[in-house]
Amino acid sequence: MIGEISHFLSLSAVVLFCLILIFNFFFIFDKTNSNQLSLSLRMFNQACWLIFISFGMYVYLSINDDFSIAYIASHSNSQLPIFYKISSIWSAHEGSMFLWIVFLTAWSILFINFLHRNHPLKRITLLMLSLIILGFLLFLLLTSNPFERILPFGAIEGADINPVLQDPALAIHPPMLYLGYVGFVISFSFITAYLFHGNFELEWEKDIKNWSLVAWMFLTIGITLGSWWAYYELGWGGYWFWDPVENVALMPWLAATAFMHSLYASSKSNVLKTWTMFLGILIFALSLFGAFIVRSGIIDSVHSFANDPQRGLYLLIFSGLITLLALGIFAYRVPSLNVSRFVISGSKESYLSMNNILMITSIFSIFLGVTYPLIIEALNGEKVSIGPPYYNTIFAPLILIASIFIMASLDSIWQRSKPFKSIVFSIILPMILSLIFTYFVWHVTAVFSILSYIGIFSGSLILFSYLYRILSNFFYKKFINIGSAVAHIGFGLLFLAISFNSILSYEKNLNLAPGETILIDESIEEFSFDDIKVLKASNHDVISVEVSLLQDGKNIFLNPQKRKYATRGQITTESSIHASILKDTYLTIGDQLENGSWTFALKINYFIKWIWFSASLMVMGMLITIFKKKAT
Amino acid sequence: MNKPLRFSIVLLPIIIFSFFAKVLLVEEDEKFLKFNAKNLPFFELNDLDGVAVKSQSLDGIKLVNVWASWCITCLVEHPFLTKLSDENIQIVGLNYKDSSEKANAWLQKNGNPYIFSIYDPRGDLAFDLGVTGAPESFLLIDNQVIAHTQGEMTQRKWETIFYPLINKARKTK
Repeated sequence: MIGEISHFLSLSAVVLFCLILIFNFFFIFDKTNSNQLSLSLRMFNQACWLIFISFGMYVYLSINDDFSIAYIASHSNSQLPIFYKISSIWSAHEGSMFLWIVFLTAWSILFINFLHRNHPLKRITLLMLSLIILGFLLFLLLTSNPFERILPFGAIEGADINPVLQDPALAIHPPMLYLGYVGFVISFSFITAYLFHGNFELEWEKDIKNWSLVAWMFLTIGITLGSWWAYYELGWGGYWFWDPVENVALMPWLAATAFMHSLYASSKSNVLKTWTMFLGILIFALSLFGAFIVRSGIIDSVHSFANDPQRGLYLLIFSGLITLLALGIFAYRVPSLNVSRFVISGSKESYLSMNNILMITSIFSIFLGVTYPLIIEALNGEKVSIGPPYYNTIFAPLILIASIFIMASLDSIWQRSKPFKSIVFSIILPMILSLIFTYFVWHVTAVFSILSYIGIFSGSLILFSYLYRILSNFFYKKFINIGSAVAHIGFGLLFLAISFNSILSYEKNLNLAPGETILIDESIEEFSFDDIKVLKASNHDVISVEVSLLQDGKNIFLNPQKRKYATRGQITTESSIHASILKDTYLTIGDQLENGSWTFALKINYFIKWIWFSASLMVMGMLITIFKKKAT
Repeated sequence: MNKPLRFSIVLLPIIIFSFFAKVLLVEEDEKFLKFNAKNLPFFELNDLDGVAVKSQSLDGIKLVNVWASWCITCLVEHPFLTKLSDENIQIVGLNYKDSSEKANAWLQKNGNPYIFSIYDPRGDLAFDLGVTGAPESFLLIDNQVIAHTQGEMTQRKWETIFYPLINKARKTK
């Protein structure tokens, strides 16, 4: 019964959104303060609340194990803790689409109600938002209905959620990512509304700035959590794979990063406005494209769901129409936008726009990497894979150039060119320091990989320029933007961590009998297989191994395990990780060999923690920026 | 902004979207018609039990199925593969970007339709084959890749593409 009510509420929301669209279509050029607008606003709020309540009921159904609902029966189980019963909702296509819509609605209702009562763009923004929500809601109800019942008799017990998905990081990774993805619906609708409205005297940057910053933050957290989960839970031994789905998340992120920078520039000087608008539209278009790639089954990956082409077709047509609508209005209005076209070279905005171009280049490269296999297959039926080497070779030079522009932009000023002489010291100093540092790394590690050294050089260039800036702030009271400094230091650190990880990490397969001790290398002088025990736990047997390591003069104890579950005979491996600041020591036991010895896989991963740390610095920088703005 | 540029802002997305529409709408059967048979790339790997497997060991008629324990769609197509293996189709698993412990546990839990599974933790062979993810299936006849499908192996794909080819190959032998 509750299932039907929940279903009915969603359907009612569809009707309300349709009414809003039809109703406003006739009044589109009316004054904003009309009764008619306040009525549509009420209808919009009600429709949004209907969706929230409907989702709340769905969560209730999932917690109370209503296995007569097909989706819950196939993705949840009565034995699951409540936490995972809830997160099982977004463990597959239908439920995650539902969550996507809920977030879309949440962003929209907040933005619309925060916007000034008589804001001239309110009506068109409202229309845009309603159109997008309605599109997704219809997609959910028509092609992937989560409310479908198993009739006449429901399942007695649910099929289990995939064990890989029973992880806290996975429970929060999709919500964070979705919050980021759909958050850009605001800049998208608002910019479209601005262009449609045609009164270009209006200010628009201020109204969407913070919303975009928050959305960017969620997107960053979501991507990082996904990467973190892949490293700790999936056991792929890495943190980024250039998987198509990772790529379609990275594209909006890059576009959003470019957008924020250019929004900043266009609020400081009257340039780049057109460009900023284009980016604002592009981010959400790329989010829609990502949804299409993941949910159409056109490319298979970790994330793809078992799909039918109907869904893909609906999403393609819908996102195509929305994107074309926005871009069409943009292309139509661009000539009448009165913006200055000339960027003074050597000014801050000139460096920002250079980096914007680089970011667009990287988006295009990723887009090409994702679609190239499809293009080739469509042309001659051959199959190709585009792997990490493609992305690494393309990204390294881009990062190098970007880091130089970041450094140059630090000491430059808005709207005026600064003579090269006055900034030469703040450029030369970090350059020299980074060269020395890179050479030093090469000298110490004696590993050569050109791409990693480009990464190290670029990363340290950014770091040193900001450190220099912080110091000059400290001694000469030079202005510094703290939020931006923290975020960029995080960005620099990220490249250092990635490059160090790639040149330093290694893996060893060992073969030891109990009681044996061996020497591995200079850093691990002793590896002793101390003990092996078979323990009995309530529902599984444990083969527990105790290993002690003399690593860098310190004793470390590792305790990898193998568990055999009685009821299903499932065997799981619990790796043991010893994490220090610099490196993770990752040990897994394999199988017993005929002579009684055991195989071990020992992985030393360097600087993994630093990757998460730099991502959180970037988020922190963003937080500082947001809150500082509120204070002033 | 000049006219051609404005024009292309609208035109480019149209081209991209129509390309995807075309890819999406191409029937699986048509896709196969364009598929050029090619030799199985050379490889030397182990299977999940640690036994060495070479490209030469995949002779005769084999269905190579790319799978992984983290792959949810693989679980969906699993019953169908089990049915095929009961009908004496030789299915070789290609365990893709997975750990052998998790893979073995997965097989123990869900049943093993494979005669053996090649262990490809870094995705080397998968890369050479042009795999984009799991699941995917390849039909091998005498070391030649004859047909291929991305995503779940369905009854329809099996009946329209794979089974006729196998039948033909069996008759010529």
